[in-house]
Amino acid sequence: MDHRPFEDWLLENQPLTSDQQRLLNSHLRECSSCAALTEVDLALKSARLVEPAVGFTDRFRVKLESRKQVLRWRNFWGFALLTVGVLGIIVWGSLPVLRELIHSPIAFLSSWGASLVSFWSSIVAILRAGMVLFKVAPGFVPAYVWAVILISAGGSSMLWVVSLMKFTKVPQGV
Amino acid sequence: MTDESTWITQARQGNDEAFTNLVESYQKPVYNLCYRMLGEAEAAEDAAQETFLKVYQNLARYDRERSFATWLLSIAAHHCIDKLRRRRFSSISIDEDEEGQTDLPDHSAPDPESETARRQERERMQGCLQSLDPTDRAAVILRYWQDCSEVEIAQALKLTVPAVKSRLHRARRALADLWEEKPSHLRTERKPYGSPAF
Repeated sequence: MDHRPFEDWLLENQPLTSDQQRLLNSHLRECSSCAALTEVDLALKSARLVEPAVGFTDRFRVKLESRKQVLRWRNFWGFALLTVGVLGIIVWGSLPVLRELIHSPIAFLSSWGASLVSFWSSIVAILRAGMVLFKVAPGFVPAYVWAVILISAGGSSMLWVVSLMKFTKVPQGV
Repeated sequence: MTDESTWITQARQGNDEAFTNLVESYQKPVYNLCYRMLGEAEAAEDAAQETFLKVYQNLARYDRERSFATWLLSIAAHHCIDKLRRRRFSSISIDEDEEGQTDLPDHSAPDPESETARRQERERMQGCLQSLDPTDRAAVILRYWQDCSEVEIAQALKLTVPAVKSRLHRARRALADLWEEKPSHLRTERKPYGSPAF
């Protein structure tokens, strides 16, 4: 039996004309499949809310408190472990230096002073070289290369901003 | 400002009592959704409690432009769908009424027989629901028990409106086929050791 239009009417819950309703009623008497669809719809519409056992909110209060307690303990132990770990790494990493410092403090301080001076000189040299390059380089690079570089930088920045907006959007379904 | 809105504001500021008021207001729809999804009172209680804990932890993320009920039910539905997918819940426990389930008989019913028939019909419906795909089941529950519109269901389940329509059609067709297939077999399966009256 072709029950396509009737099934569509039932599934769409469309308002029907009196002729359509009459046709549908006569079809429902003959077609068990469509009759089942109507029965299910009625059963679903008449189904009641199932309620939780009494005291749901009190049980939630208890659960929330115990969850908070667990979180507090987790945070405490996490912080303690992190602190111990970081301190351990610092002590372990600085042991040779401390040993040297205790053994001959003047030699140690002078070697550190020399290292700092050398580091500072390197930074100054790099900065000077950079400034020279910055002044000279534009003359060697054609204008269209600059255009390409600027467009690429702009595109990358835009992509970065869009990605940030997309991935940091607050989820609503959690 | 409505009570709900006030409670949300206060709960966001760390007022647990205000959040408890929200739990009190929404416990029934959330529990019903979980029960219809999972088919077991104990699992539904756990899922509903977990839902509220998730809501508590994520309340700061709630977009106040949206309906709180839809957001809450969305979290409950996703929690149940995840749970079903993880555990591959395959069968329904239809002895819930014996385990403290409070889908209580209607005391205003004119006679016990019609109430029994209605109860069997509810169990039959619950049995059919369990055979649906979890997302389809959630769509049906939101539509029929929570009176959500197709747009709200789409928001809650992160689907498009045509997808919701199609899922609802498919689910109703599947339910009707099951309804037609096994009209009364749950009745005999339910309490083979019980009173003949039930």
